[in-house]
Amino acid sequence: MTLITKKLIKSLGIFLILFPFLFLLGLSFSTNWRFPSILPLEITPDNWLGLFSFSGNLFESFILSIVISVSVGLLSTFTGFLAGKYISETIIREKIIFLSYLPYTLSPVLYAASIYYYFVYFNLTGNIIGVIVGQILITFPFSINLFTGYWNSSIKNLENLVLTLGGTKLQSYLKVLIPISKRMLLIVFFQTFIISWFEYGLTTIIGVGKIQTLTIRVYQFINEANYYYAALSSCLLIIPPAFLLWFNKKYVFRKII
Amino acid sequence: MKNKSQSFWLSLFFAVSVLPVVAGFVYALLYSFGLAGVYEIGFTLKNWAAILSSPEIINSFLFSFYIAVVSISIALFVALWFVINYGAHFDKGILSYVIYFPLSIPAIVAAFFIIQLLSKSGLISRIFFNLNLIDNINSFPDLVNDNLGIGIILAHTLLAIPFFIIFLLGLYHSQNLENLKQLSFTLGADKKQTTKRVLLPILLNKVYPTIILYFIFVLSSYEIPLLLGQQYPQMVSVFAVRKLQRFDLADIPQAYVIISVYVLIVIVSLFILFRKRKLEYDFDN
Repeated sequence: MTLITKKLIKSLGIFLILFPFLFLLGLSFSTNWRFPSILPLEITPDNWLGLFSFSGNLFESFILSIVISVSVGLLSTFTGFLAGKYISETIIREKIIFLSYLPYTLSPVLYAASIYYYFVYFNLTGNIIGVIVGQILITFPFSINLFTGYWNSSIKNLENLVLTLGGTKLQSYLKVLIPISKRMLLIVFFQTFIISWFEYGLTTIIGVGKIQTLTIRVYQFINEANYYYAALSSCLLIIPPAFLLWFNKKYVFRKII
Repeated sequence: MKNKSQSFWLSLFFAVSVLPVVAGFVYALLYSFGLAGVYEIGFTLKNWAAILSSPEIINSFLFSFYIAVVSISIALFVALWFVINYGAHFDKGILSYVIYFPLSIPAIVAAFFIIQLLSKSGLISRIFFNLNLIDNINSFPDLVNDNLGIGIILAHTLLAIPFFIIFLLGLYHSQNLENLKQLSFTLGADKKQTTKRVLLPILLNKVYPTIILYFIFVLSSYEIPLLLGQQYPQMVSVFAVRKLQRFDLADIPQAYVIISVYVLIVIVSLFILFRKRKLEYDFDN
């Protein structure tokens, strides 16, 4: 295979990977794409400019999704980090790892349907707190699963060294354990953020249509056959995780396999 | 002090991760037996009998299995082919970055993209029309909301291929497969033998737990079949939720029967996965 052919194949591969992004971006700038035109008849920034003034207030959904996902990511990461340390020392460690797989392998929508009764009982349906709690039920075990394997003897020895040298428990966390675990904390935060950001089924059931995250808006726009706004909200949905994955690609997957 | 902290975090783990699953499963069981919920009529097996004797539920599970098996098989085959033949191309340059981009696509957006691509008024249909390959919009075949679940399979496959490529590339490096490959060539094996005897056994053995987890994920996917599926048969999650949302109260306990069966399937699958059974792999047998 010649060098030019190889480069052509590589370029084609890159184009195919990027095609869905370019397509959705293009559609979000369209207002008139009728059959059988291959390209939209009109390209305009109006959809994007209307982001802040659109009657359904898509921007509000974007901010709401950010608030929910950042809260879920932060809470799951830090509680998982602390819990993982103690759980890794128990004799039932393997059983805990097995159990931690359960909530996030269950279909979120069926899981939500089965616990919906308890959410109604505790008045957690149709509000943002309920959605955050519901999502944490999935992301916290995921975080435990990653952190239980992370806490090894060398990290624990470092903590013991700090305590032996007169440091307090708090200092051992702030000055040693958190700084050396920065990469792992970032990985877990990004992954739990993305689980929450992509979540649709559980949010639909627990939020009872009142919590309009971006995924729910995309579904609504598709149902209304408003494909231009569906494309616009899809772009908003893709941009944060794409940026995070691009920025942290060297931390994701390869380092944890 | 340490024991106190350990007890606290263990209790928190059970309260957040195990208790809701157990409580949800118990509630689903009670509802399905007529012992809880708005349709509380006293202990009855009629909901289980109705569901288990209905071809709808069997077809729903079979359809979900079919979608999961086909999507994952295609995705795994393509990912293995890319990693074994072109693994080095993903190590550096722009490809090493862009291969991560598809992971940022949520299932609902993937489904929307497939609609825009494959529906009768989608991009491919328009290209076919302009190339005079079809006469009108209705001449284009049904590729979404179709009987074979082509749209659902394609959406899942598109999401799974980059995931498996990245995962397998990680394994390729962590297992030093490039060195093993060179060693195999030095010892006289050809490319086919190296792939069959060295690379595939190691990669498949390591990726096996991920395949099971991904299988469960596809089996119970919701957004993609909700948008790309048809009325019958439906995938398990869509089928159960539609039964929950019907006006007929008698359908709700049946939805909980489906949820109970599904939870049991997940638990059994995880149990099999954690039995530490070694994946036997030999193409000659």
